Amino acid sequence: MILDQFTLPGPVKVWQAIWEILKSGAFFDDFQISITKTFMGFGIAALFGVPIGFLMGRTGYWKAFFHDGVVGAGSVPGIVYAIMALVIFGIGFQGPVLAVGLISMPFIALNVAEGIEGVDQDLVRMSSAYGRNERQVLRHVTAPSILPFVFAGVRLSFAIAWKVEALTEVFGSSNGVGFQIRFAFQGFSITRVLAWTLMFIFVLLVIERILAVLERRLFRWRTWEQAA
Amino acid sequence: MSTAATLDRPRLRRNPVVRALLSTWGARLTSYVAFLVAWQLLAWYVDRVPEPWETFDFIWREISGGSHGGVRPGEFWEHFSATLGRFSIGLSIGFVVGTVLGIALGSSMFLRALLSDMLLVLLALPAIIWAFLTTMWFGLGWEAPVYTVILSAAPFVAVNVAQGVRSVSPDLHRMSEAYGVPRNRRMRSLLLPAVTGYLFTGLRFGVIISWNAVLLAEWFGAVDGVGWRARLWYDAARYRGFLGWAIIFIAFIFLLDGLVLSPLQRRAFRWRKSAAADVETEGLGGFDAEELSTMGL
Repeated sequence: MILDQFTLPGPVKVWQAIWEILKSGAFFDDFQISITKTFMGFGIAALFGVPIGFLMGRTGYWKAFFHDGVVGAGSVPGIVYAIMALVIFGIGFQGPVLAVGLISMPFIALNVAEGIEGVDQDLVRMSSAYGRNERQVLRHVTAPSILPFVFAGVRLSFAIAWKVEALTEVFGSSNGVGFQIRFAFQGFSITRVLAWTLMFIFVLLVIERILAVLERRLFRWRTWEQAA
Repeated sequence: MSTAATLDRPRLRRNPVVRALLSTWGARLTSYVAFLVAWQLLAWYVDRVPEPWETFDFIWREISGGSHGGVRPGEFWEHFSATLGRFSIGLSIGFVVGTVLGIALGSSMFLRALLSDMLLVLLALPAIIWAFLTTMWFGLGWEAPVYTVILSAAPFVAVNVAQGVRSVSPDLHRMSEAYGVPRNRRMRSLLLPAVTGYLFTGLRFGVIISWNAVLLAEWFGAVDGVGWRARLWYDAARYRGFLGWAIIFIAFIFLLDGLVLSPLQRRAFRWRKSAAADVETEGLGGFDAEELSTMGL
């Protein structure tokens, strides 16, 4: 037999390993931790990405200012983010959060910039004609039009963010999916690497689906508006 | 105060220095300076983050082989050429495999139905998993990086090529069939022009993905190469070494994209004015954020 547990374990073996992991409760513990870190990272990304995107969408100067950095940040290899986050914060939950923030920020910024450029200028002019001040316009016209773009940025960057989060955990963490994959690798257990990987992909696909459904639900009014 | 500011503005705008600073190039330059300043501040604040000058000094010594930490002259090129070899061999094989798979997927509904779920899983698989598996399969050496690159890049090329094949107008296809256009001419004048753009996009994607994959695989499963070298400095807690290499990684991928791939793509699209414009405006490989997001880092 060429295929044994040291080359490629069969599906039954992998399934048994998955079952063991599910039974031990590690699945819920570690995925919960990883998902929390990922969404905290999105929080950081939105915190910086929204203002940057806002400025980029508003004036040519800021667009030129941020363009190289934002586009460049999108093609930096994930390993660089993972290790840098680790160097700055050491082993802990901040590292993966920062890595996710760095990798998904460009998506949010570019999406928001696009959203700002697409704000209905007639509405803005009408609002100022009716004597609405800058803040009211921001609150009632601009913010609702960019919110869907922030969400789209999150949905689009989820796959990359999820992978980078796990990667950062591979390099330095004491919990989470990436840590478990690293642990299985160190123990030379191909079966467990495959088991964790399959669960990792499963969760990725499920969350992507949930985000897509949520987006359709939350921003249903947008399609009405476009259709009208 | 405010009246003075408004009065001064036109005169200020005529000032050549101010105008240069407010231009597009001025803005870009300012952003780079701001980045360096932010980096320097971070280095002061966090002990482990090396300062910019330290890092650039490291890069210079590493490349020139100056006297520091046992760097021999020529060591840089040894590692760089080892990685470059693995990268290009892996990418070429991955590209060919991906193209063949993509054409098959694009032209056969049966294969599409059979393999699309499989492809979805492969696209979602992070490169680190391939790096781990190949390291466990082949041990330390050139195999792990090369196979990791092939396995990471091929699915992305396949998806792009399949999309290109499907974009061929079925009407044109049926018409050329009806008029009895020979098969190889149909390939040359119908399929090839339609697929070229997608091929280039697949290639640019493949390059970015492969570069990340080769670094990861060398980090864990090699005894030389740039990924291994970066790990050496990292393990020695010489973070300026890691950061220096990170800058070299990023510079390499930017230069490759800017100097080779995008001019090549523009050249391939000379005949299609609007398409060339698309490539320009949509950024990376003429793909929108939707497709960019599936890129596996």
